[in-house]
Amino acid sequence: MAGKAGKPSRPRKADKDEEEQPLQAVLVADSFNRRFFPITKDQPRALLPLANVSMIDYTLEFLTSTGVQETFVFCCWMASKIKEHLQKSKWCRPTSPNVVHVITSDLYRSLGDVLRDVDAKTLVRSDFLLVYGDVVSNIDISQALQEHKQRRSMDKNVSVMTMIFKESPPGHKTRCEDDDIIIAMDGKSKRILHYQRAQALKRLHFPMNIFHSGSDEFEIRFDLLDCHISICSPQVAELFTDNFDYQTKNDFVRGLLVNEEILGNQIHMHVTKDGYGARVSNLLMYDTVSSDTIRRWVYPITPEANFADLEGQSCTHSRHNVYRETGVSLGHGSQMEENVLIGRNTMIGANCTISNTVIGANCVIGDNVTLDRAYIWNRVHIADDVKVKQSVICDNVEVKHGVVLNEQCVLAYNVVVGPDITLPEGTVLSMHHPDEEDDEDDDEFLSDDNDVGYRKDKTKLKVFNPAEVGSEGKGYRWKTSSLEDTEEDELAECIWGEIPPEVSSNICCFDVVLLGVEQSLYVSSQLLKKWAPVFKNYVKRPQDQLDCLASMEEVFLERETHWAALVKVLMSMYQLEILEEEGIMHWFNQGSTTDKSQQLRRNQGLLKFIQWLQEAEESSEEDE
Amino acid sequence: MELQAVLMAAGGGSRMMDLTYNTPKPLLPVGNRPLIWYPLNLLERVGFEEVIVITTKEVQKALSTDQRLKTDVKMRLDVVCIQEETDMGTADALRHIQQKIKTDILVVSCDLITDVALHEVVDLFRAHNATLSMLMSKVHEFTDTVPGQKGKKKAGEQRDFVGVDVTGKRLLFMANEADLEEGLVFRKSIMRKHPRMLIKTGLLDAHLYCLKRSVVDFLVHNKSVTSIRGELVPYLVRKQFSKMFGVHNKCTSKEEALLQLARERSCWNDHRGDMSEAYHGGKLRCYVHIMEEGMCYRVNTLAAYIEANRVVPKLFEDPPIHPTAVVTERSLVGSDSIIGPYCQISDKTSIKRSNVGTSSTIKEKVKITNSIIMNGVTIEEGCNIQGSVICNNAVIGRGADMKYCLVGSGQCIEPEGENAVVQCSSGYTTHTKTHTLHFCSSVVFVLNPAFCVCVCVHSLAHVCLFFV
Repeated sequence: MAGKAGKPSRPRKADKDEEEQPLQAVLVADSFNRRFFPITKDQPRALLPLANVSMIDYTLEFLTSTGVQETFVFCCWMASKIKEHLQKSKWCRPTSPNVVHVITSDLYRSLGDVLRDVDAKTLVRSDFLLVYGDVVSNIDISQALQEHKQRRSMDKNVSVMTMIFKESPPGHKTRCEDDDIIIAMDGKSKRILHYQRAQALKRLHFPMNIFHSGSDEFEIRFDLLDCHISICSPQVAELFTDNFDYQTKNDFVRGLLVNEEILGNQIHMHVTKDGYGARVSNLLMYDTVSSDTIRRWVYPITPEANFADLEGQSCTHSRHNVYRETGVSLGHGSQMEENVLIGRNTMIGANCTISNTVIGANCVIGDNVTLDRAYIWNRVHIADDVKVKQSVICDNVEVKHGVVLNEQCVLAYNVVVGPDITLPEGTVLSMHHPDEEDDEDDDEFLSDDNDVGYRKDKTKLKVFNPAEVGSEGKGYRWKTSSLEDTEEDELAECIWGEIPPEVSSNICCFDVVLLGVEQSLYVSSQLLKKWAPVFKNYVKRPQDQLDCLASMEEVFLERETHWAALVKVLMSMYQLEILEEEGIMHWFNQGSTTDKSQQLRRNQGLLKFIQWLQEAEESSEEDE
Repeated sequence: MELQAVLMAAGGGSRMMDLTYNTPKPLLPVGNRPLIWYPLNLLERVGFEEVIVITTKEVQKALSTDQRLKTDVKMRLDVVCIQEETDMGTADALRHIQQKIKTDILVVSCDLITDVALHEVVDLFRAHNATLSMLMSKVHEFTDTVPGQKGKKKAGEQRDFVGVDVTGKRLLFMANEADLEEGLVFRKSIMRKHPRMLIKTGLLDAHLYCLKRSVVDFLVHNKSVTSIRGELVPYLVRKQFSKMFGVHNKCTSKEEALLQLARERSCWNDHRGDMSEAYHGGKLRCYVHIMEEGMCYRVNTLAAYIEANRVVPKLFEDPPIHPTAVVTERSLVGSDSIIGPYCQISDKTSIKRSNVGTSSTIKEKVKITNSIIMNGVTIEEGCNIQGSVICNNAVIGRGADMKYCLVGSGQCIEPEGENAVVQCSSGYTTHTKTHTLHFCSSVVFVLNPAFCVCVCVHSLAHVCLFFV
């Protein structure tokens, strides 16, 4: 009798336990990639200031405000710095509603490692939030959490994860180029049926089996931004342990969806319309999220709120979103137009124009300086007559007289630039030499994944090049390209390894082929075939195709006698699927600058080829 | 005149051959009106004064003689006959009448019974200057047992996938599951323009289309397109995202140019998210109105036919028993039944949830429930008919007991006797070896002259098949 009476009471007790469990969160304070290199050589990403507050503070504030009572912070790269920062912060005060535990290990290589450790240490007891240390958000999770719990109580252990998304259609400012995801979902149950990153795809393919779920309404959504916030059940950690090949969240989601029928686990989603949530996953996102914060999209997390409760950080908010901390001095005739945040004790000279800019503490800015979309961190000295557009300037940088920074420049810690130099678009300068291989470097990354692209610079001597940084400048120039290109994708990283070592750069490899063109046409097409896999590895994005075509054009312009060969090279590249018609058409339609290249484009064979391509494209459209 | 109406009434009704093998589909009685009356009425209700009817000789003759059609339909009918044998598709038919088409057209199929507010479809067409706008509705689940079909229909039927944008109006994609073995493929550019696409299955295409005049011109130039639904509509839907199509459609008329200018100057936009011009510069646009509620049937299967007959009478205001019908007082006719003109219903007969057509005679002690009795049917004494369809001019012998049967037109079911004989119109006969004609659960007459099959299921065990 006693046994019988005991039985029904036990599950009830378990229910109660579940309800009373404090909400836990796992915060991964490491990105496991080098998107922010070379800045993150000196400071971990989670501690980089965004609107003068470290990013990890935004994440913790979000977690606390959404009701998290216990947070596990996992650090790897520069763990001691993060730990030190957290110990000083309000999160480690005894009054903090959110208990923060810091767990460090040098062995974490990916999100998968972290979650496997969570499982091994059995840290989580119930559903938990999984976020990165660079997420800025004000989303109220409670509704999604409730939905998640409801789903789990209805179907025990079927739904393991609820991902949080924010609406941001293509063209939206906060849409992250790397997270170009496309999702197929069940219209009613909000279950994710298909999840794919689409940035390299031209056509989006959905297998039929996802439509056999018995529902008659599906939604395909290309207007979502992954906030990188997910509500996970403890099973998620177990699944990572079971599948030791899962490294990233992407692996996990894809793996779960593909094996849905075998494992029987489902992933659901929650879309927020009003909330703000974004991950600072690259510098473009840094720019976007910073300006969104200043424009108060993340309310109530605003600069003047001083949510991190830092001493002396309080600031005033005035019209046009101009924020000033204490001790700011502004010279005669200087204007702060709009969306400006200026840190404490910063001095600004006369006749400056400042808009959409964040300036850190203790900076000195000279006269006649123009700043637009500049992110200037602490203790930066900027001399007179400097112009800065959409650039990041890290701590202790000195920008001398008359320097112009064009779009998307990065001046990493302690760099000195100038005087009187104009940095072209996308310049990255750092005190670390691009080739230097620190031991600390290897701590975070697999040691053999060095970027092949940097190798061409190896011949460079380890002296500061005055042409790059100015006569009094200090710093090395990193690979020049747009912000996006400096940071390669996790995906790309694994592919880099497969490339034959003798091919060290794009340009080089085209030269090989085009030398072949010179020899004879026949050889070239054979060579092309031989090198096709190499090309395919390099030429992935539309931009690569254009680069490829441009370099080919360059070679052909030098050798007028071989113009006839151009068509054949193009044709075989097209047939080998190295180049796509869109790329070729774009190149062809691009305004040519010189007479000679116009002449090249008027080549009979080429015209015929283009016409053929157009027709092929048309008919492929009709086939669909 | 803004729109010309075209009524397609030449279809053979190939999916319900049991009913249509000697009654043309447009003339099948539904709620004691010929099927064609419903689309005509739909058009008349919204104020069309003229309609082009594409049909066969046989139907034309009926159109001119049928009293009901003559009195009810005030519109001018411009009847165009096509030969039955030529196997013309709907697009072929449009090509056939292209001389008559002066404006944009509204194409309606003769088997559509709906109470849709037609302006919804036309408004989409007007508001977006669309090339095509069409009507769809939720598919109805037919719950009733269908004569001649055992059990429920298999769920494995191929679904139509319809993709609409977030407003649910713009038609972005259309395909049948059968063509999608490889999976659904979209070009990224489409997703960029319409980042949120709803894919719906379980929709019924009402076969009602508003089409631009230019589409008819297109058909004239492209003779390979034979069917509107099968080829033209999918083509138009696909072409919305083709870069090349815009070139053919250069705005030439002054009106077009004005519209263009108006759109350029206005701040209106059809989409949100990006800042590109309205419709992303596309000239060809397809829209769909999806009925959330209301009635919409396409009478193209037996199940739909039966369902329509059940539902339709409730919509009429006229009395359920036609004034010219003779119904004796000692019979029982439920208020959910309708009795057509010149019917005779004798004593002790009960009729429930059934439709009885024109000039039918029903003798004493007959019980009819859930059935459709067409025109000129004679039912002798003591019959029990349940869930069945009795076609024109059939004669049901004394004491027949029928459940879920379909009796073809002109059939004669002999009275209770030693050998019951089921006679087919084509002259083939089937002898059933039962003493009483006891039709239970399923009886099928596949009334094809080549062979005649009669399946009788008596008691539970015996299933007999007779091939002649």
